[in-house]
Amino acid sequence: MKEERIAKSEIAEMNGSAALPRKSGEMVFHDAWERKSFTLAVSLSEQGLFEWHEFQSELISAIKDAEGEDPDHPSRGYFESWQVSLESLLEKKLD
Amino acid sequence: MTTHSHDHPNPYHESERDEATNKAMTERVDKMEALLLEKGLVSKEGIEKLADIYENDLGPMNGAKVVARAWVDADFKQRLLADATAAIAELGFGGLQGEHMVAKENTADIHNVVVCTLCSCYPWPVLGLPPSWYKSFAYRSKIVIEPREVLAEFGTTLSDDVEVRVWDSSAEIRYLVIPEQPEGTENLSEGELAEIIERDSMIGVTKVNAP
Repeated sequence: MKEERIAKSEIAEMNGSAALPRKSGEMVFHDAWERKSFTLAVSLSEQGLFEWHEFQSELISAIKDAEGEDPDHPSRGYFESWQVSLESLLEKKLD
Repeated sequence: MTTHSHDHPNPYHESERDEATNKAMTERVDKMEALLLEKGLVSKEGIEKLADIYENDLGPMNGAKVVARAWVDADFKQRLLADATAAIAELGFGGLQGEHMVAKENTADIHNVVVCTLCSCYPWPVLGLPPSWYKSFAYRSKIVIEPREVLAEFGTTLSDDVEVRVWDSSAEIRYLVIPEQPEGTENLSEGELAEIIERDSMIGVTKVNAP
């Protein structure tokens, strides 16, 4: 899996990654901790600590919780829910 | 560092956090990272590498290359429409969450647009990370009910005789829209075409414009 990833970045470099990316991109992470929370989750799933769909289920319910009765004004942001999901899943997996 | 620009105003941006929230979340995530490092479950190097891959190498240009190939190679387009996962793998793209890809072609009569009404399912390996508006409740709820209005908010106005099809992503199926090739770009190379194909057009909220 790791080697597969490296191959992909090689493909990107081969085509001159500096020229193409971010044409339509906004900054994908607004704050540094979002980036870290995101990569911790991906990294742990790649290590096999959990299956991605397990994380995804947690995330879906966390987002739903946050949206509650007023979905236009969720009680927390997307990455806050992301972090909550990761904490909750880790609690189950590490104990 | 966190500024970004758009060609048109986008109504689905999340508001910025205040400093206190950011500080609290930073501490919370750092605490988790420290615990995972201590347990040897992640490494600093591994985290950095992954972040780099998802931000830079798996960005929308992978999707743009798939679409450009489909525009110049009719056989590839047929394979893409028949089995997008396999066709995309021909170009070397695949991986986490992108296993079951379905491609939908926009034509003069049909306009496809993608959403995930439950959360934010998204074809990461070809489009990178989802934009924040894609994750907003406003987009997720409204695109299904009033697709034309939402598309108009993105600057995409469709005539009444164009059928709009909204595809709801799931954990199993991820959609990639093949936008229409703009007129006057027939002489561009595949590489040149890939450069004009922007992310939003592959979600289906915009069209591709000739350079």
